[in-house]
Amino acid sequence: MNNKKILIVDDDPDVRQGINIRLRANHYDTFFAADALSSVVEARKHEPDLIILDLGLPGGDGFVVMERFKLIPSLAVIPIIVVSARDVRTNQERALKAGAKAFLQKPVDNAELLAVIRQALGETEPSETVR
Amino acid sequence: MREKPLQILLVEDNAGDARLLREMFSKEKPGSFELTHLLRMSEAVIHLAKGGVDIILLDMGLPDGHGLDTVRRAHAAAPGVPIIVLTGLDDEALAAEAMKEGAQDYLIKGQIENRALPRALRHAIERHRMQTETDLIRTDQMRFKDEFLSHVSHELRSPLTAIYQFVTILLDKLAGELNREQHEYLEIVLRNVKQLQSMINDLLEVTRVQAGKLMIEPQCTSVSDAIVYTVNTLQGAAAAKGISLSSNLEGCLPLVCADPTRVRQILIILVDNAVKFTPANGAVKVQVRILDEEPNLLVVEVSDSGCGISSDMTERIFERLYQVTDQGLAGRRGLGLGLYICKELVTRQGGQIWVTSLPQKGSVFSFTLPIFSLAHLISTLLKNEEWPAKSVALVTVEIRSPDGWLSKEAREEWSRETRSLLERCVLPDLDVVLPKMESGGPGELFQLVAFADEKGVRVLTKRIREQFERLNHSKQSGLTLSTSHRLLEAFPTRGNTPMNDLATEMAARIEDLIKSESLERTVHE
Repeated sequence: MNNKKILIVDDDPDVRQGINIRLRANHYDTFFAADALSSVVEARKHEPDLIILDLGLPGGDGFVVMERFKLIPSLAVIPIIVVSARDVRTNQERALKAGAKAFLQKPVDNAELLAVIRQALGETEPSETVR
Repeated sequence: MREKPLQILLVEDNAGDARLLREMFSKEKPGSFELTHLLRMSEAVIHLAKGGVDIILLDMGLPDGHGLDTVRRAHAAAPGVPIIVLTGLDDEALAAEAMKEGAQDYLIKGQIENRALPRALRHAIERHRMQTETDLIRTDQMRFKDEFLSHVSHELRSPLTAIYQFVTILLDKLAGELNREQHEYLEIVLRNVKQLQSMINDLLEVTRVQAGKLMIEPQCTSVSDAIVYTVNTLQGAAAAKGISLSSNLEGCLPLVCADPTRVRQILIILVDNAVKFTPANGAVKVQVRILDEEPNLLVVEVSDSGCGISSDMTERIFERLYQVTDQGLAGRRGLGLGLYICKELVTRQGGQIWVTSLPQKGSVFSFTLPIFSLAHLISTLLKNEEWPAKSVALVTVEIRSPDGWLSKEAREEWSRETRSLLERCVLPDLDVVLPKMESGGPGELFQLVAFADEKGVRVLTKRIREQFERLNHSKQSGLTLSTSHRLLEAFPTRGNTPMNDLATEMAARIEDLIKSESLERTVHE
């Protein structure tokens, strides 16, 4: 079985690395972007099955990134999960309206993150128990 | 002095009084004043909405206004415009009350001197300007503090995220095997990460409390559900410490009038505290009872077998940032914000919170919530000596989107907006907006009870519709609002019947109406 591909967009290298280890342990292939512009470039290059998106990014925040993705037909269909340190009450609704599948507040519980990813990918059977 | 003429709105139904005032103004320098004279409050509200008024001269005895309520309505329609109240000689006390409602000054009819009038107007405007300035500065400072705290908590979350991620990576052995000691130490790190996380959340919540942004949406809700939820959520944490966590929910409990999310939040804080301060093998229990001395209140009690609180601390622990400093207690305990948040949440929902405690035996934290009772709601309106009106109306207001159904987000947003709109539209001593009774259905439904006849209801629904249109327009949401009402007539004259009996009878009839309305809707859809 081919592993699903996930693009991690976050400007904090430690957080990126943390998510990366967790996702690889759960048999996902991972790619990275650290700012708004490279998120589009990386998405075009790797055509991921899912994007994990931070809101506070250099070069345009997560909302700008989502707008840009919408304009590119091949990228518009990729499910996006927003993972942000910003306040849930003021940003959740806005993120969902902008087209995100879910809004998760940092620090995200590992089990929750994986469950939301599986749901967004439409994986009925979990690829493996939570590690 | 200003260049443009001062725009004065005079709201006065007595032709004689109005003429006198007009004459006084006519003696002023031409071009310094422009007077608009209206007879009714309803006209004034529409005129004020257009803007451009510098000061309002307001008679308190208008045919479509009720004393102080006139001032409230004028203030609500144009919060930035100073008001001078016009009153009779025997009403000076009322005029003084009006100033508490936002009026800048009052003038006694028949005692207004020619020269004094323009001076009174200018003074009122100047005083109002200074007050507004002070308010603005205060708002600015508060906003800065809010932004600062929100920024800080955001910045704290990012490094915390990295710590959490890597501690769990190690704990889950994604970086290799751990020995028992290493595992134990990492568990300690994780526990502290979680504590830090909840402190950051508290910090944000307190910012909201102090900015007055704490949203509370009362509805008919079950306390039992909230207790079951809390016990389930914290069962794991209790079990990990060897503490038995249980609830005792006997019999059929009445519904309360409260915000279910907020009730859960209060319970989580109290039970979490109880678990924290109870030693291993202790017990934490949640129960509910109706207060004997106050049958309109439900009491929720969270009791523990923990270290207890000495009697001189039982008041202070609800203060902001207060922490018990007792060497006997284990380690740090958070920011000291949880109980403060609890107290704010309980008080804002019309309840009280207190603690009784025996050191070394345990504590009982109790809070009350108002039981939902239509009779009780109505009896607050019956304080008047006379029947306020010969009939009572049940008014139903429904909001829908153009395609019929409201989404969850729109529902939440509009439920809040509309409720506060309705609260603004009703007359506080004659009408009451009912808490939300049912959810589901395509639109968002609101009901209110109004002591009014057919004509009164028409005035009320017209006002609601106008305000809604304005809100709708500014938000460009394209929602539609529909209203309907039913009248209950022929109530017995007050006579010697005790108030409570009347309220109970009336409540029963209104409840029947609500039920039949709800039934009709179900059939309709």
